[in-house]
Amino acid sequence: MLTIRQLDLSYPGYPPLATIDWSIGRGQHVALLGRSGVGKSTLLKALLETPKPPQIQCETTRIAYMAQSPVLLPWLSARDNVMLGARLRGEQSSETAEIADALLDRVGLSGLAARAGGQLSGGQKSRVALARCLFEEAELVLLDEPFAGLDRSTRIDMAELCRELLVDQTVILVTHDPRDASDWLEAAWVLSAQQLSGPLDLQAFQDDRELIRALDGAL
Amino acid sequence: MIRVLRGLITTAVLLTLWAGIVWIFDLPHYILPGPERVISVLWTRPELFVHHALITAAEISAGLALGGIFGLAVACLIADSPRLQRWTMPALVISQALPVFALAPILMLWLGYGFASKLAMTTLIVFFPVTAATLSGFRALPSSWSDTITALRGQRLRIFWQVRFPLALPFAGSGLRIAASVAPIGAVVGEWMGSAGGLGYLMLHANGRGQTDVLFAALVVLCGLALLIWGITNRLTRSLNRYQAFD
Repeated sequence: MLTIRQLDLSYPGYPPLATIDWSIGRGQHVALLGRSGVGKSTLLKALLETPKPPQIQCETTRIAYMAQSPVLLPWLSARDNVMLGARLRGEQSSETAEIADALLDRVGLSGLAARAGGQLSGGQKSRVALARCLFEEAELVLLDEPFAGLDRSTRIDMAELCRELLVDQTVILVTHDPRDASDWLEAAWVLSAQQLSGPLDLQAFQDDRELIRALDGAL
Repeated sequence: MIRVLRGLITTAVLLTLWAGIVWIFDLPHYILPGPERVISVLWTRPELFVHHALITAAEISAGLALGGIFGLAVACLIADSPRLQRWTMPALVISQALPVFALAPILMLWLGYGFASKLAMTTLIVFFPVTAATLSGFRALPSSWSDTITALRGQRLRIFWQVRFPLALPFAGSGLRIAASVAPIGAVVGEWMGSAGGLGYLMLHANGRGQTDVLFAALVVLCGLALLIWGITNRLTRSLNRYQAFD
């Protein structure tokens, strides 16, 4: 699905970062771990760019992205937020509204389709953002710490939903906390300032000290 | 209720202070009239003050509306182009750095002594805070937002009108609130330079005739008018906060 060859993550004017090679097969679900400032966002930005840099070969142009904050327009209804992509591409119709409603049902928000984005709780907003990801029918889904700022039980619920709903997609989950992901992701890659290492067994990180060593590039 | 009470108490304290100064220093009424003289002139000639206040109010409101629209439009036009911003910013800043006093004679020359020159001066004062605040609203979009929007592969114009413009509106609103507090300067300075009506005109006229009580009364009315216009602007722009999505 995705092949990266010799992509330099350094940012002009900042200390040099790793140059990485990475390849992910279709339908794989992987975690990308790394401390802040090692180039995770640079990598995600490069994946979202059109056209992509020549170092990145991606089999699909259908890429969905879920950010750290839910990014809901507070004046639009949950339904309109789910089909925001269709609205911005000028493709909205009664059919897209039905699809959005069905997706809201699937993320457990039946009955809240007409509620304004600004009136949803943090957990509900994250569910709407996940529904928007699903609406895009993307083949590759990039999740950028999508559970940051949620309480522990909501995080578990969200991870459960992702596991259930993102079966058919290729998924890259960027996170600090592998416990978010250990029960539904197959492998973890660790990005440090020097290198990208992996795949590592997520079970290895049940111990925090192991995780810290891995994040520092020692594993 | 508490706000009204607070306003009344502040007013009462100021009036007492004012009366106290006049009494302690035994000031003649043509230097500083006591509050009772000013209140009495307001009470006996209300039509005079209403007439001139309405003229000034019209100048300020029209200037706020025109400057607001103009400021918003300029911000929208240059929002997407850092190059255009670099080219236009110096001109925008100069339009603010030049005191409106310095521009007033030129505007009088071009637009005459009527409503148009006061409108131009108020608009000139209003548009910059609105442009600057709206631009900072466009720039405030967090990267998580711009990445999410990019990933949705929308059309540029739709992204602008459906996402970026509404998100900048609360910022434009706070710019307009700042503008509302300085807008009376444009109108009153314009009236000083030459006019046949308005509170600024009334002050000059009264000053020339030694009617210090009328001068002070006009000043009091101007204070009330400025507060009223600020209050209305505040109320109107607060409705824009429904577009507030991030700090």
